[in-house]
Amino acid sequence: MQAQSSLKEMDLECRGVTKTFGDFTAVEDISFAIPRGSFFSILGPSGCGKTTLLRMLAGFQSPDSGDILIKGRSVLNTPPNRRPVNMVFQHLALFPNMTVAENVAYGLKRRNVDKHEIKTRVADMLSRVGLPDAGGKQVSQLSGGQKQRIAIARCLVLNPDVLLLDEPLGALDLKLREQMKVELKQLQEKFAATFIYITHDQSEALVMSDQVAVMNHGRFEQVGTPQALYYEPATRFVAGFVGESNRWQASISARDERGFRLQTEAGLSMQADREIGDKSASQNDWGVGKSLELFLRPESISVAPGHQALGTENAYQGHVESVLFDGARSQLLVRIEGALDLLNVSLPQTAEFRSIRKGDSVSVGWSSAQVQCYEV
Amino acid sequence: MKNLFKTSTVVLATALAFSAPLNAETLRLLTWGGYAPQEVVDKFEKQTGIKVDVTKSNNEDMISKLRATRGSGFDLAQPSQDRITSAQTDFDIYKPMDLSKLDTDKFIPSMLEATKKNTAINGDVYGVPHVWGTSGLVVNRKAAKGVADYTDLCKTDLAGQVSYRLKRPTLIGFAFAMGEDPFAAYADTDKYAGILAKVEAKLIDCKSNVKAYWSGGDELLNLMRSGEVNAAMAWDAGGWKLNNENADITFVAPASGALGWIDTFVLPRKSKAEEAAYKWINFVMQPEVAAMITEAAGNFTASQGSDQFVNEKLKAQFNESFPPKDIDNIKWYPPVPPGLEEMEGKVLDRVKAAQS
Amino acid sequence: MSAVTGLSFRDSGKLGLLLLISPLLLWLSLFILLPHVDLVMISLRERVAAREYAFSWSNYTAFFTEPLYWRTFMRTAVMSILATALTLLIAFPVAFYIAKMVRGRFKALLFVLCLIPFWVSELVRTYGWMILLRETGIFSGLLQWLGWVDQPVEMLYNDVAIMVGLVYTSMLFMVVPLVTTLEGLDDSLIEAAYDLGGSHFRVIWDVVIPHAMPGIVSGCIVVFMLTLGNYLTPTLLGGKDSLWFTEQIYTQFITRFNWEQGSAFGMLLLILSSFIVWAGLKLSRQSFTRVMT
Repeated sequence: MQAQSSLKEMDLECRGVTKTFGDFTAVEDISFAIPRGSFFSILGPSGCGKTTLLRMLAGFQSPDSGDILIKGRSVLNTPPNRRPVNMVFQHLALFPNMTVAENVAYGLKRRNVDKHEIKTRVADMLSRVGLPDAGGKQVSQLSGGQKQRIAIARCLVLNPDVLLLDEPLGALDLKLREQMKVELKQLQEKFAATFIYITHDQSEALVMSDQVAVMNHGRFEQVGTPQALYYEPATRFVAGFVGESNRWQASISARDERGFRLQTEAGLSMQADREIGDKSASQNDWGVGKSLELFLRPESISVAPGHQALGTENAYQGHVESVLFDGARSQLLVRIEGALDLLNVSLPQTAEFRSIRKGDSVSVGWSSAQVQCYEV
Repeated sequence: MKNLFKTSTVVLATALAFSAPLNAETLRLLTWGGYAPQEVVDKFEKQTGIKVDVTKSNNEDMISKLRATRGSGFDLAQPSQDRITSAQTDFDIYKPMDLSKLDTDKFIPSMLEATKKNTAINGDVYGVPHVWGTSGLVVNRKAAKGVADYTDLCKTDLAGQVSYRLKRPTLIGFAFAMGEDPFAAYADTDKYAGILAKVEAKLIDCKSNVKAYWSGGDELLNLMRSGEVNAAMAWDAGGWKLNNENADITFVAPASGALGWIDTFVLPRKSKAEEAAYKWINFVMQPEVAAMITEAAGNFTASQGSDQFVNEKLKAQFNESFPPKDIDNIKWYPPVPPGLEEMEGKVLDRVKAAQS
Repeated sequence: MSAVTGLSFRDSGKLGLLLLISPLLLWLSLFILLPHVDLVMISLRERVAAREYAFSWSNYTAFFTEPLYWRTFMRTAVMSILATALTLLIAFPVAFYIAKMVRGRFKALLFVLCLIPFWVSELVRTYGWMILLRETGIFSGLLQWLGWVDQPVEMLYNDVAIMVGLVYTSMLFMVVPLVTTLEGLDDSLIEAAYDLGGSHFRVIWDVVIPHAMPGIVSGCIVVFMLTLGNYLTPTLLGGKDSLWFTEQIYTQFITRFNWEQGSAFGMLLLILSSFIVWAGLKLSRQSFTRVMT
């Protein structure tokens, strides 16, 4: 990954980790390294192997091959209770028979830390996560967000080298989840701890992470900053999985030095630049008739009411099929004349669009540099 | 346990109460194992059309069952002759016999007279004799030499090879073997208590010799068969049965005298098939039928002349175990006065609880 | 008018309820309440002469003044507690294995294995143990065949044999509630404790046992009561020194014809065993309603 960071600064490193269950390969030859203090997310659909990978990091499963190093030392033979790694479980797994303070103190007690020290460290940790008075409470008295913070506090009080988080926000309702995203990121920065966060929710990964690995079928498709993933998806899977896109099946009808002329199956013709999208194949080899899948972000589309010249390489006329109003995320569904499918267009937050209605005619267009092309 | 006991008593009583009127021509017989063999039951049913329901039991169980139902549920019972008057006095569970309905000439006269005497209350006779036998010693003569009396069971060389019951016959037998006469002391409670105290000490002392206290006949037979026990206090019939399998084992009449018992016929107070009961008694007292019962039970009956129908082997075994002088030496149980059994019970409890 | 109809409606509702619970009430009163009342009545009288009885506490005082009875009860209670503890000790790993380590068909198979001994009567099961343990039995023969002993060994007729029989008989009644509660334990709690540095022992002690406590307590109550009330196993396997309180009750009822003393013992067994269960609940800080639901 980051070639400039030396091994010593890496909190965690995986080398060629593979894990199979019978015929099923859950994790296949994964290698990565995470620098100290970063927030690293593993994003992927359910069943992609991310939980298995996390459990191997925690020590609950051991890889069939490959090595896991923490601070440069292999931990393959270290059981979970002695790994300098702690885990926040999906359903948090707070001990219901203990108070909040006892939960936080549990790991310290198991390390035979002095009683007074435990007390001060627990109190300190509780106030750092913003729940200074919760110590005497029963776990069942806490709200969802508070439980979340206690579950993290319980791990952080042990100063782990790496904190693993297994979709801990999954059980929360939407509003709380939005709030917790921010809170988690702040906590991570405050403690300067290394977080590995797995999720199937791209928004969680994008908002919080320094680095995101997109995982599919046991492999990393792409590792990079959220911006890189969003704007330069390396593979068709990443382009489809991260963020929203208009998607077309298309084939090359003509090519020149700048790019390709593409014809979609739905009857749309457009121009696309070279070297945008697919990084795995040499686009120079693509000839006329090659089948591709095209991705276009809704916010990359320019739109104007009525008939206007937009000045983009690709420009079309159409009419509004429906208005999906959702504040800042509002979208228009536009039917382009002569094309079969609807185009998803971000609604600009300007006065001229405030009164746009179904059936209004619009001009839409996008630059040839915005069309991401991938081999099928 | 207590729930089970009470509930089952209630259920049993209810079931019996409901089932009884349905089969009027059924004789419900409460008896010992072997006293009503299937062939005899079939023969009886063929001859009279009366069905026989046989419930196998023992002395204490018979009394308890009849006590729980206040004398109902059965039409004919067969307790030992010495256990009748006390149970009748305390619990009123029997009714007097009408001897005119019995073929009294089929009984051995001396035995009938003795039983009549022992089971009479205020001139009413409650029992007539059926099967008689003795209890004494069953010994593996090869493995346990020189066992001639009950007290010999306590010899150190027999440690761990001995078995007897924790029941009153054991107390009586040991008392005789220790030179006492418990039957003579029946009427004198203090004297009897003194004898019991001596027996108790002896039995506690002897406990280390005991392999296990047996409670069922089959249990003892198995212990003797396997060789785990080589000398025991037991019934003569069991000894002869083992003798058939292993010639080394046989019944030995103890030097101080075998204890003679007679099992009788009595009518429960609420007997519903009295006529059938008399028919059954008259039927089984026929010499040929009595011999069939002897074959099954291993014990002789009070039926006059049935000996000639009994197989020679059993007679030979009897004669070997009982030379004439030993027959005269048999100690027949007199009726137990009320109250003695409670004293005996406490002794038995203490023996059981003592550490060997 | 409306008030009247309302009333009659409510009455018919009450009647319906009454009809609905009448079988239960009948059952309770006929088979549980009445026999116990009868038992109390019988226990409070004393035979003065033939067919004559008088009110007396003597049957109860006999229990406390005659050391034999008191000792027998204490022995029964201590042995039962020991048997319960042993059953728990053996059943816990078994239950944990069934609840947490295996899945699907194998799990069902293991459950059935626990159940199989209960397809035959207790008597047969006990005779089975007798065949195994007796001097001429299978274990003794096996040990001789292996050359570990040079003469037959008697393993029957002692307290260990009683204990083996009791634990064997009680196993299922401990395993079932334990499996049920352990199945409700979230695996991630175990993993969390382990992840936070707990040793195997600490994880079991801190997480598994507190969670399984209601199952442990209800299993213990059932096993304790069953053991205390057992009759066949201690008498058959225990031999000459086996003293069991139920045997004492049986003897009083059946061989001594002393229903008065037997009833008193029955009541005492009920009261004392209830007291022990109560004390156990207090010690483990569990409530009866929580444990039994």
